[in-house]
Amino acid sequence: MSGAGARVAVVPSRMTLQQIKGRLAGAKKGHSMLQKKADALTVRFRSILKDILEKKEGAGEQSKDAMLALAMAKYAFGEELTVVMGESVDEEASCKVKMTPDNIAGVTLPVFSRYEGGGGAAGGLDGSKGGGAKGGAKGGAAGAGTGRSLAGLSKGGQQISECRETFSTTLELLVALASLQTSFIILDEAIKLTNRRVNALENVVVPKLDNTVKYIISELDEMEREEFFRLKLVCQGCHRENGACCCVLYWIRFARTGVVV
Amino acid sequence: MASAGKKNLSKSRPGGYLIAVIGDADTVAGFLMAGVGERDGKKDVNYFEVDLKDTPVPAIEDAFKRFTEREDIAIVLINQYIANEIRPVLAKFSAPVPAVLEIPSKEHPYDASKDSILQRVRNMLGTS
Amino acid sequence: MAPGSMLTFNVDDGYLEAILRGYRSGILTTTDYINLTQCENLEDVRMHLTGTDYGTFLQNEPAPLSTATISEQCTKKLVDEFRFLRTQAVEPLSKFLDYLTYPYMIDNLVLLITGTVHGRDISELIDKCHPLGLFDSMASLCIASTPEELYREIIVDTPLAPYFVECVSLDDLTDVNIEIIRNSLYKAYFSDFNAFCNRMGGETAELMSQALAFEADRRAINITLNSFGTELSREERSKLYPSIGLLVPEGTMRLQRADDSTAVGAAIEPYSVYRRLFQSAADNPEKSLEDAFFENEVALCKEMFEHQFNYAIFYAWLRLKEQEVRNVVWISECISQKQKRRINNFVPIF
Repeated sequence: MSGAGARVAVVPSRMTLQQIKGRLAGAKKGHSMLQKKADALTVRFRSILKDILEKKEGAGEQSKDAMLALAMAKYAFGEELTVVMGESVDEEASCKVKMTPDNIAGVTLPVFSRYEGGGGAAGGLDGSKGGGAKGGAKGGAAGAGTGRSLAGLSKGGQQISECRETFSTTLELLVALASLQTSFIILDEAIKLTNRRVNALENVVVPKLDNTVKYIISELDEMEREEFFRLKLVCQGCHRENGACCCVLYWIRFARTGVVV
Repeated sequence: MASAGKKNLSKSRPGGYLIAVIGDADTVAGFLMAGVGERDGKKDVNYFEVDLKDTPVPAIEDAFKRFTEREDIAIVLINQYIANEIRPVLAKFSAPVPAVLEIPSKEHPYDASKDSILQRVRNMLGTS
Repeated sequence: MAPGSMLTFNVDDGYLEAILRGYRSGILTTTDYINLTQCENLEDVRMHLTGTDYGTFLQNEPAPLSTATISEQCTKKLVDEFRFLRTQAVEPLSKFLDYLTYPYMIDNLVLLITGTVHGRDISELIDKCHPLGLFDSMASLCIASTPEELYREIIVDTPLAPYFVECVSLDDLTDVNIEIIRNSLYKAYFSDFNAFCNRMGGETAELMSQALAFEADRRAINITLNSFGTELSREERSKLYPSIGLLVPEGTMRLQRADDSTAVGAAIEPYSVYRRLFQSAADNPEKSLEDAFFENEVALCKEMFEHQFNYAIFYAWLRLKEQEVRNVVWISECISQKQKRRINNFVPIF
């Protein structure tokens, strides 16, 4: 990047000078604001990193417990538990996630939270509200759909309940992890983007505008000098002919600069 | 392409989002018990059972693509040992939503060194 | 003369009783279980099982072995042995053995019904049915694609038709919770089987009515305990209680009124067997009531083998083999998940 020589191509004039100066000020202000944004995002990012590591370990442990609970449920109910579960899937999941937007320094981060949807009551055998039929009131699915929540009624019900509990807990952890992970990815991108912009402003835009300003000023000075010189010539001609200077330009020049030629 | 399948993060879909599961029979059964399963009509479900002896890798990749392209799935849970089979497809997927979480299975406990997200985290913590 | 009579038993059924006792002696012992629990991985388990009656049944399975494979193969061996007995049996033993398969049929049918109601293609489900519960007309059931068709097929063709006609109507298939259907069928089955055994008379009737009474009571207690907190009302629940068993009628009346586990405990207070089981589960936090029931079942079945010239030993053998498969699978799970803390949570048999 040729920072030294690059400038915006403009016609040098006072108006453009004002414009470019305005842009330069804007760029500088934007730079400091973006810097602040990048800092805020990085702070949040750091705190997420540690959290993710811990939670992943925790989720790993919890998964192990859940798998053991499943083995116990299969012991009590029978190996066909997996098949029975697969067949009794409802038309609407009872465990869903809500996405609420969280805003940090202008970046929208989704936060996932679990909530119990329509479908069959997920609490099943150990104290849920008996709302199983209300959600899935789509014709036939209502009755058969809540089969899952009564599974193991005559055999293995306790174990199935416990298994459901542990998997539920695992899900909670996983949903929290998912939030963290998504935030991680989004923040990563956002920080990279912001830093890119900060650098661009710092290394390209501001120097470019700076150079432009300098260029305009130097051009304006040059033009003044040329003007001055031209006036001098004109006035000399005027003096030779008239003995006094009557040219308008001369007076304008005088008024402007106070220089008597 | 990061914007492929990007969901509008500031609006929450009414009716909530689903959790998809790609895993072995036990993992899928367990999460179905917790209530994540949803069946839409005859065939469309938000879980995919994998038996590495029977299921061909393209089928797994296909399921993954289907779940990530669906508008109503916010989280995809996948057993780590299965994720290893479709590593390239996983690596290409970089959208923040749906969140792809690698979970251990009962035969393959969690191995942090294979988790792609955790690798990035480690790198960040390492260099910072 | 009652078929259980000593004089004529061996004519028709002596050979099979001998075979059965042979099977019985091959059931895994405590020593076998101790060896299994000390295995480090599933390959060790495979090796140890080769030294038992299971022999080389896992020979053709490629490594790495999974618990699902072990479960499948153990069940397959059980099914093969049962089928051998069944093909050689004559009336009335063959009818008795058929009765033993009805619970599996009920479970399979319930699976098919669930699939149909959800609009699934049930020919896929046939593979997932329990092999002991398969019957010839199952293939024709697959053609049914709606609950109505399935219902008509069932009441026409299957051995379970009488139970269906008795307690399940077409509307029930779609409106009523599938678990209620399952348990209603079981109730009908218990009554029917009990009547059959009583008709046989002799030792069979005596032993089987004891066994069936225990099963029925166990179901009633479980249904009660597991229905707390669900949408199952008391009336619906009481309709599912079997009509045989020690608990009928006072116990079931009290169970029907029970609202929590203390009330259940009070209801079974007068029945010493169940009180003891409840107590043992309450004393030991690692043991659940289900475990206590399994233990009692094993004890009952072992005792049946002390008697000769009856059919109850076939029932006992089936139950013991099932428990054995459960045990082996549980141990394998603990080993493969590296969670040996609860590995002894099984019921040793001999």
